[in-house]
Amino acid sequence: MIELKDLTKTYGNYSAVQRLNLRIDKGEIFGFIGPNGAGKTTTIKMMGGVMAPTEGVVTIAGIDMQAQPQEAKRRIGFIPDRPFLYEKLTGLEFLRFTADIYGVPEQRFPDKATATLSTFSLTDWSNELIESYSHGMKQRLIMAAALLHEPQVLIVDEPMVGLDPLAIIMVKNLFKRLASQGVTIFMSTHTLKVAEDICDRIGILNRGRLIASGTTDDLRREANVSSADLEMVFLNLTGNSA
Amino acid sequence: MPRTLPLLRGRWSRGGRGGAGRLIVLGVVGTLFWCGLFGISWRVLRYFKGIEDIGDLLAYKLLSMILVVSFALLLFSGILTSLARLFLSRDLLLVHSLPVADHRIFIARWIDTTADSSWMVIVFTMPVFLAYGLTFGAGTIYYAGTLLALFLLAVIASALSAWLVMIGVMIVPATRMRGVVILMGVLLFVALYLAIRLMRPEQLVDPEVFDSVLAYVSSLQAPSAPFLPSTWASDSIQAALAGRVANSLFHLAISASFAVLIFCLAVITADAVYFKGFSRAQTAATATIRRRGFSEPMFRFFPGPVRAFTVKEIKTFLRDQTQWTQLFLIAALLVIYIYNFDALPLEKSPIQTVYLQNVFAFLNMGLALFVLTAVAARFAYPAVSLEKEAFWLVKSSPLSIRNFLLIKFFIYYLPLLALTETLIVGTNLLLKVTPFMMVLSTVTVFFLVPGIVAMGIGLGAAYPDFKAENPAQTASSFGGLVFMLTCAGYITVVILLQAGPVYRLFMADLHGVPLAPIVWLWIVAAFAAAFILSVLAIILPLRFGEKRLRQTHL
Repeated sequence: MIELKDLTKTYGNYSAVQRLNLRIDKGEIFGFIGPNGAGKTTTIKMMGGVMAPTEGVVTIAGIDMQAQPQEAKRRIGFIPDRPFLYEKLTGLEFLRFTADIYGVPEQRFPDKATATLSTFSLTDWSNELIESYSHGMKQRLIMAAALLHEPQVLIVDEPMVGLDPLAIIMVKNLFKRLASQGVTIFMSTHTLKVAEDICDRIGILNRGRLIASGTTDDLRREANVSSADLEMVFLNLTGNSA
Repeated sequence: MPRTLPLLRGRWSRGGRGGAGRLIVLGVVGTLFWCGLFGISWRVLRYFKGIEDIGDLLAYKLLSMILVVSFALLLFSGILTSLARLFLSRDLLLVHSLPVADHRIFIARWIDTTADSSWMVIVFTMPVFLAYGLTFGAGTIYYAGTLLALFLLAVIASALSAWLVMIGVMIVPATRMRGVVILMGVLLFVALYLAIRLMRPEQLVDPEVFDSVLAYVSSLQAPSAPFLPSTWASDSIQAALAGRVANSLFHLAISASFAVLIFCLAVITADAVYFKGFSRAQTAATATIRRRGFSEPMFRFFPGPVRAFTVKEIKTFLRDQTQWTQLFLIAALLVIYIYNFDALPLEKSPIQTVYLQNVFAFLNMGLALFVLTAVAARFAYPAVSLEKEAFWLVKSSPLSIRNFLLIKFFIYYLPLLALTETLIVGTNLLLKVTPFMMVLSTVTVFFLVPGIVAMGIGLGAAYPDFKAENPAQTASSFGGLVFMLTCAGYITVVILLQAGPVYRLFMADLHGVPLAPIVWLWIVAAFAAAFILSVLAIILPLRFGEKRLRQTHL
């Protein structure tokens, strides 16, 4: 469903992402972890079509992002790490805006909007201007908007930042349910527990390179760590110590 | 102020965006504007000097008016800048978390505010004061005294506005107060502008109404408001011009003592209420939108993305005080513009009226298009930057950058076309132009407006500033300047291309003389060139903007 081939991004002499190769299947949840500045957000931006790669190919549902960006983006729900929105719209108006952009049928919008607003506990806030929302509420609204057009692929940068514990549990359950329905989810996170809890596979990025990839058991083996949790695996593989 | 200075460092280290090219262009344009102001001031003052008995009086009255207006500008600019710097800036959370006393934070921010809110007023009133000095043959003391008087005026305005803002924020939260101040400022400006214009000040230099000027002169001698800081500055500068040094120093001393007093008052107030006001600014509630429901009846026949952006653009515009208040300014501009043509004394001219009417109508096309350029610089040019950091929504959506720019283009094209055609048709009707000139000007404008709007959208996309806090900031950037210059060049070329052919056509029509085939060929070629240029003016900027915007990283 998602394929990255030799994906590279350089800024002058600095390589943010170097020859990244990945394949993520339909219905799989892939977690992307790595230290700050490892290139996670850059990779996610290239996958979402927000940034052009220096080299390499991003394929979403068999569609080349460079060749047919509009078609590829139609299949994606993109959730960035920082929730910048149109502050002078209300939550409901923002959902309407997203629905219009992604071509959600007119007659289906009311039901879908009601359901997503309810899922993300935003019903009471739907007619308030977004400028009055908290960080977590904005993050929830972005997630609601990203799911409105029923994407085949969900690309999420730091999904749990700013969310309260209840919302984190809700999002974890939601992602698991979406994956079981065939949605492919690619998420970067610093919360190793979240990655461990919901991801089918985890990739560790360090200095722009994918240094390890697999299930948590695969990673433990690769890091020569027997009983430790993912934090120790992460520290071992990235060459850092606590 | 050992603990205040570090808080100012960000100010001097945050510059440096853009290269030497930008500085050179801005420097050249600024210098030209400065020289133009000097030239106009010099001519006006020389003219006044030539009027016996009342010349100096008029010059002094003008000086006093300039200082009143400058003080009002400094105060208004100071209030808006103080609000932003003291209560609304993004870095304030960090600054207030530092172990620094409130009054020290205030002093650092106030210095910042004073510099930001006053440099432009001071720099661009300099040529006027230079013209005064040269016209009156003033010495070094005049120039030093004027600089000091202006500095003190800026300090007083800034301290007074900071003090007013701190008190005001205790009553109305900072987020709301900004809207109130902007609305009041705009309404005040519109009222003053309309009042001054409708008084027809041009009659002051009309010899036929000189009797009334003499009557007016007696009122000129009435003393100005003695408690206004601008009066102290004016009295000090006037005394320096006349060589009365002691008198000049006396008025400077009054200014200086008041500046110190108001600054101390502001610092004491800051220690008492600044943090409380800042705290309130973070917790102010915002309005709930009353209309509920899922349907969006407006524009429901538009394709989805077009509807999405049109609705978003209109709602954002109407809910943002910094935006919709500009409509008052445009309405005033429209009234004044059309009124100016009504007030033209064409019948007094020795030149044939019908000829003059049509010459004015032709030149009016250029003028109306320059007005459109200014309006487009405020609305169309910042349209892309106004997406701010939410631009990721466009980048990640299935909407192509080309379609995004085309949607933006049409959103601004239709209202701006209506505005410009209203100006043209309204003034043409007042001028009673020939049907030929009416058709020519409305058609020319119809073809030029899309070019100007496309340049606004295209160049705005090529030089986006997603971090700009308001559209005026975007419009005054380097890209805004490029837009203004490109538009000016485009309008000038089209007007020059049309001037010769239109003159030949008009004269032939007036005298009933047929034109030679070679002249027709020239006319067709000139109009074709203008048409091709107009098509290129739409395509090229939009393509340039599309290319640059596609490469823009967030």
